[in-house]
Amino acid sequence: MSSGGSSERGTFLLDGEVHVYEPGDSVAMAVVRAGDHPGRGGTLCLAGDCGNCLGEVDGTAYVRTCLTPARPGLAVRRHPADGPPPWDPAARPVQPAPPGEVRRLETEVVVIGGGPAGRAAADEARAAGSAVALFDGAEGHEVVGIFPGPTVIVRIPGEQAMLHVRAARVIVATGAAELHPVCPGNRLAGLLTARAAAGLVSSGISLPDAVVVGPAIPGVEAQSLEGRLVRFEGEARVTAVVTADAGGRETRHACSTVILNLGRAPRDVLARMSDEAVTVIGSAAETFPLPPPPTAGVICPCAGTTVEDLEGAWARGFHEVELLKRATLCGTGTCQGGACLPHLRSFVAARTGAIPDPFTARPASRQITLGEAAADVHLDAFRRTALHDEHLAAGALMDRFGGWWRPWHYGDHLAEHRAVRERVSLGDVSTLGKFIAEGPDAVEFLQRLYPTDVSTIRPGRSRYALLLNERGHVIDDGMIVRESDDRFVLTFTTGGAGNAEMWMRDWLETWALDVRLMDRTMSLGAINVTGPRAPELLGRVGLAAPLRFLEHARVPIAGVPCHVMRLSFTGEASYELHHPVDRSVELWQALMGAGQELGIAPHGLQALFALRLEKGHVIIGMDTELDTTPRRLGMDWAVAVDKSDFLGRVALARTSSLPDHRRLVGLTMPGEAPVEGSPIWSEGDVIGHVTSSFTSPTLGRAVMLGWLKRSPFPGAVEIAGRPAAVTSTPFYDPEGTRARA
Amino acid sequence: MRALEPMPGVRVVGHADALDRLAFPGGVTVLRIAPDELIAVGMADGPTGYAILGEAETGFVGRWLDAGELAAVRRHVEWPLHDGLNQGLVAGVPARVWIGDDGRALLLVAGAYAHELEARL
Repeated sequence: MSSGGSSERGTFLLDGEVHVYEPGDSVAMAVVRAGDHPGRGGTLCLAGDCGNCLGEVDGTAYVRTCLTPARPGLAVRRHPADGPPPWDPAARPVQPAPPGEVRRLETEVVVIGGGPAGRAAADEARAAGSAVALFDGAEGHEVVGIFPGPTVIVRIPGEQAMLHVRAARVIVATGAAELHPVCPGNRLAGLLTARAAAGLVSSGISLPDAVVVGPAIPGVEAQSLEGRLVRFEGEARVTAVVTADAGGRETRHACSTVILNLGRAPRDVLARMSDEAVTVIGSAAETFPLPPPPTAGVICPCAGTTVEDLEGAWARGFHEVELLKRATLCGTGTCQGGACLPHLRSFVAARTGAIPDPFTARPASRQITLGEAAADVHLDAFRRTALHDEHLAAGALMDRFGGWWRPWHYGDHLAEHRAVRERVSLGDVSTLGKFIAEGPDAVEFLQRLYPTDVSTIRPGRSRYALLLNERGHVIDDGMIVRESDDRFVLTFTTGGAGNAEMWMRDWLETWALDVRLMDRTMSLGAINVTGPRAPELLGRVGLAAPLRFLEHARVPIAGVPCHVMRLSFTGEASYELHHPVDRSVELWQALMGAGQELGIAPHGLQALFALRLEKGHVIIGMDTELDTTPRRLGMDWAVAVDKSDFLGRVALARTSSLPDHRRLVGLTMPGEAPVEGSPIWSEGDVIGHVTSSFTSPTLGRAVMLGWLKRSPFPGAVEIAGRPAAVTSTPFYDPEGTRARA
Repeated sequence: MRALEPMPGVRVVGHADALDRLAFPGGVTVLRIAPDELIAVGMADGPTGYAILGEAETGFVGRWLDAGELAAVRRHVEWPLHDGLNQGLVAGVPARVWIGDDGRALLLVAGAYAHELEARL
């Protein structure tokens, strides 16, 4: 029994009423001392093995009051009898606890349990030269879980801190717990285990009218009853216990306290959490006789599971302890089977003739707060481009895309749209995946990697390419930029760059080609200068000779060394300026300054998504699905089927002659664009959905991309209750003259 | 923790044996982040040669840690730090901690993550 409470008499509040405690009392002891029950009934073990004394202590629910030292001013509330403790932040604001601190310890051996077996094991390990950490519940160390590693999590007493201990070996020496009774009336108050009774008596607490079911207990004066336990009787507190002899004849014994000395079971909750490098010793590893199979009453006090519930699940075919646990919730509560598991095993053994193994326990073995559970747990880290502060200064609304913070808009996405279409605009595309592939086998590598014929890309030129997997499904896209015979720059989508790198490195290793691959994604910034006046702006800052469409060159721009790539995602003349990331701000400011007379304005992702939609450009992952092929995108032109082998070629060749019932198509209708995700209807059936949607100010109508998943593909459909036309893309500048201008 | 500062250097990719043979001037801290890749902090120009790709690297920030700062960093690392190069999550942020024979320690993180790491440390 743990106490360790105050050294002086004092008072605390229980459900708003003053309770007196004596020196050394736990909260539960003090309540029992007053003739009351700290919970809502059920057998008290006062050892932390069950959940019958749980309460809310100073605002924290599910606290074992038997392990909570009484101290002045403590506010304790019993949990409701009919359900979990209420949590209504509006009615009862909760002061958030400060985030828990995590401390770490590396050791060779962790011993859990400070009894004779645990201390002997610790001594033996130390004698063998091992570093040992011993955690003893009697000293206030609450081991709440064992995780793979193994890692042992310990609540540090008296502090808002958790200790995470990594060890090579864990020894569990947690001893044995006492059996709880399972019979009608076992939720009454006035029921104690033998050790609990002995502890109370030794603390000077009298147990009037007490009887013992089972062997007599040294030091505890109480009538010892013989026979089988049948039931408890009483309203809230026990007033009698009924036993039966071997012939089934029942005897009723009047009492106000029943002490249950029914036997023991391994205290193995921690041992049942992990089988990795965990050794169980002492009583925790002992095989104790199971109790008689339960026939009636609450078997799992935590979940409220009754024997009748078990019988119902058994009748439905759940014949293993793990299945019965899932079907009835028996053992899923606070004590993780500490009270119910022996009875559940006995229940199964009586029906199968074989004693089943115990079920798994889940951390935590002691209730912990969300703050303690979340201590030192971090949210995903989102990256910022070097231009983050520039975007904020320009009034950007930042949002998270593909692992980065990016500007969604700068206050007016339509104005940004017009800046691109009519003047010149900057976009921060630093988040694109950027790689160098260099080496004698670079062409061979890329020929195998991409479906396009890389050998026909001349140095100084670039090409848009899809990235396919072996099944011919599109997994990413980007640019192949050839710098020399054996050096290429490759770009990928923001969200796909990480996977693309893994994909390339895997295949490079598989093929054993002589190629160096370097990730430059976070080393280089990239700014997209786009719009009809982009060439004019770049001419002012250093690009003397305008590049032709899909050409690239290394040119200083405003004094910053840049790799300039002429391409287009917006549909206007566009130049991506890749540059050392530490020069991004300098370059951005120079471009913005030089572009003032040209009406320059930055554009965010919202405008960019609309601009590319007007051009019919897909966004991988937004417009595509996991099994999207180039054919389904209408992008067969991106696949050189007659070139030598490439990833996906076999699958594409095999399926090319088969009928296909899916197609990503352009859609248009007058008026406002329907929301993305809208179903596409045809002749009363849903035949697809919209993936991208925008009310184009340039075109004066709604433009969309969407999937048709039933052939023959109709020429007219219905979306959001309105007729829409299936049309070819691009919607804007279909000849591409503006992008190539 | 004091603010993180730019840590310019050179990133080199090459055959493992080619990287093994590279020599670096004094004052350069070499972090072998993979068998075929290293970052040489404090170096201005990359080595060249067959099977070697070297590029100027300005994408990292970091700082040399004093004993107190290294202890503070240790509290945010779930795995044991050892002498030499350590790579993994520091306070949930991908980062590198290099600890030299002489006890000097360098914390290095991609600039894109610098704000997160500074805030969490």
